[in-house]
Amino acid sequence: MKRILRSREALVTFLLIALIGITGTFNPNFFKFDSIVEIFNASLTLVLISLGEMFVILTRGIDVSVGAIAGLSAVVLGTTLNMGWPVWAAVIAAVMTGTLAGAFNAFGITMLRVPPIIMTLGTLGIYRGLMRIITGGSWIENLPQNIKEPNLWGFLGVPFFVWVTLALLMATTFITLRARIARYFYAVGDNEEGAYLLGLPVRGTQFAAYTLAGTFAALAAVVFTSQIGFVSMNAADGFELKAIAANVLGGVSLTGGVGTPLGAAIGALFLTAVHSMLIFLGVPGIWDNAFAGMILLAVVYVDYRVRQALESQRRQARIRGEVHNPGGSS
Amino acid sequence: MTSTLAGQAATEPLLELRGVWKVFAGVPVLRGIDFDLQRGEIHALLGGNGSGKSTTMKIISGAYSIDEGTLRLEGKVVRLDSPRSAHEQGIYMVPQEPHIFPHLSVIENLGIGLRMNPEELRSRVEPLLSDLGFDVDLDEQGAFLSIAQQQLLEITRGLLHNASVLIFDEPTSALTFREAKQLFERMRRLTAQGIGIIFISHRMGEVMEISDRISVLRDGTVVLNDLTENLSPHDLVKAMLPPDASDVKSRELSKTEIAGDRGVGDRKPVLEIANLSSEAFSNASFKLYPGEVLGLAGLVGSGRTELCEAVVGLDMHSRGSVFIGGSELRRRSPAVCRRHGLVYVPEDRHAHGIFLDLPSIYTITAGILDRLGEIFIDSTKEKDIGEGFVESLNIKLNSIWQLAGTLSGGNQQKVVLAGALATNPRVVLLDEPTRGIDASARQDVYRLIRSLTASGVGVLLISSELEEVVDLSDRVLVMHKGRIVAEFSGDELDLDRVTEASFGLAEGVAS
Repeated sequence: MKRILRSREALVTFLLIALIGITGTFNPNFFKFDSIVEIFNASLTLVLISLGEMFVILTRGIDVSVGAIAGLSAVVLGTTLNMGWPVWAAVIAAVMTGTLAGAFNAFGITMLRVPPIIMTLGTLGIYRGLMRIITGGSWIENLPQNIKEPNLWGFLGVPFFVWVTLALLMATTFITLRARIARYFYAVGDNEEGAYLLGLPVRGTQFAAYTLAGTFAALAAVVFTSQIGFVSMNAADGFELKAIAANVLGGVSLTGGVGTPLGAAIGALFLTAVHSMLIFLGVPGIWDNAFAGMILLAVVYVDYRVRQALESQRRQARIRGEVHNPGGSS
Repeated sequence: MTSTLAGQAATEPLLELRGVWKVFAGVPVLRGIDFDLQRGEIHALLGGNGSGKSTTMKIISGAYSIDEGTLRLEGKVVRLDSPRSAHEQGIYMVPQEPHIFPHLSVIENLGIGLRMNPEELRSRVEPLLSDLGFDVDLDEQGAFLSIAQQQLLEITRGLLHNASVLIFDEPTSALTFREAKQLFERMRRLTAQGIGIIFISHRMGEVMEISDRISVLRDGTVVLNDLTENLSPHDLVKAMLPPDASDVKSRELSKTEIAGDRGVGDRKPVLEIANLSSEAFSNASFKLYPGEVLGLAGLVGSGRTELCEAVVGLDMHSRGSVFIGGSELRRRSPAVCRRHGLVYVPEDRHAHGIFLDLPSIYTITAGILDRLGEIFIDSTKEKDIGEGFVESLNIKLNSIWQLAGTLSGGNQQKVVLAGALATNPRVVLLDEPTRGIDASARQDVYRLIRSLTASGVGVLLISSELEEVVDLSDRVLVMHKGRIVAEFSGDELDLDRVTEASFGLAEGVAS
């Protein structure tokens, strides 16, 4: 029981199911397979950006340029496609762009020692600016049909990109559980000085985190470009903050070292679902942001109180001398 | 505030503690302290680490409340429940690290928290400054003041609060010799005005020089209280030591055996430090041999921790050479030291050694992940290693996946030690390995140190508990004010000598 209470992922999933239930009772249409799939489909961009942001937050960093990186990657994708590049080449170019943009953040933060918030605020401006410089400020439209096609593919009624995102989610989960580098993310975020003293490659780990954030932002760019079929200059604008919110909601601690890819993904799914639910409940769209904000605060607050209660229980138990009887469960 | 001189002790003391007890988590820290301060007197308070000195000061300055006993000011019983109420009663503590707002000017720093308009403040401050001989531009920014000036600023703050009791906590630790002399002159000027000063210092020479009276604390009681003129430094050291100190010499058999069959001279040192210097210490040189426990004794602030940090390369500005197993390490970092078989277990385990929000196993294997697989971690192997340490170090936890932050202090320390030992080091630097852990965990740590040396590892042990250093070490180096002032081994190694040397009274020993 305690384990479940302790896990933010569980709390958010429970809330999500409850909200779906409530929405469904008011509007049975919501329970239809298609609308559920639609929510998943709509959440993919945010899920991917949030997964990348998660690596950064795990190391106790912050990256507010991921939305801009997604936008810039989308511009590169659209521009190369319109230049007649084959889809695979354009996608590789976009992903490379995002990765390089992330690596540039990483360079500034780990080598030049610019504080993460300042470095990424700066590059947020630079990358958004580059989008306009490349395109001259106009949207990229008339993309070839073949980039929109993958969005139409499906398997068992579930769109291709949902499968891809699920696969990426599973891969990151596996990596965070088992890979050496992932262990470093957690260690560096939990106690940077400690990690350094233990001889871990602290800077290398931070470098990898920001670079990965760029890569994931670029993957998100590929997905939304395929989904909407054009690239606006506001593409993925504001997603950096949404991605941070999704991580916080999903239990990735801003103080580093705590969180899972599943949490980040559920947080992102939740924030997107709230939007759809409000539509189904007939609440005007202008309520969206306020509602999402309130839920974020409520979840974080409840979670904080639960943790505090558990902690004080644990301390009292310790004072009474019942220090964690092995195998004991409650 | 008329000038009453120290001689008229018949009047009510300025400040008086009677039978004061303080208990933390069931452990009594103060056991009936009696202490008094007369007008115009400098009363020095001495005591080893953990004697209850700082707790007493925190009670007088209002930071802690009294569990039992009374505090009187000029004969009246008062209850202080915050530093603020102490200020209102005329008690001001000049902290070891002055509290300066670096972005505020001197006058703003002085006026903060006082309800006074700027003109009034200036008119009050100026005579105080000239009395003190504190020559400073009131509009200078706090950040540009020297330590000595910051201290004067604190004293001025106290005087602005009309303090009649000033507490100086280790005021000279960051001062140069000349600045310290000037401070003493100013202290004398203050006492001439009838102010009473409580002076806390580790430096025996200063205490003898400046104080009128000395009290020595040990284990939460005042064991000595006499006029300075009646005392010698040796009386003070003796008072600070436990009464059975001479028994400590009866060392354990195992150790004498080891020391006996190991002629230290005929082995190659596993760690050698040559002329290492930094801001906090200078010209440290020593050799550590395999299978030896080398104790590094000294008071807090004597430079022990800084020495270790310089050895492992945390201090970028240190000079000098470090050799491990005969080869010099030029560019040192914790990672490089680990590769050469030297691990450092830092003093503050929360800040430097453990991942509190992560499973305990993460801390244990963090330094050896490269041995557990190239890309992915071999979790079976990791589990075996972790459980091996849990077993051998007697770590009490539900499973190796229990978050390290939920373990008790002693078990956290063992997890940190396991992380250090997992790398199979040749040299281990242990900084305060038993601080804040319970008695049984302490025994486990002692056992661990012995088993390390039995397997040929060299251990450098830092501890503020001099008994512990003396008991565990084959050889002890004593640091005082950033210098290694003495070395003791064999029959010469006893608590008396180590304590004297720690307080700067090493006579006729190597420096």
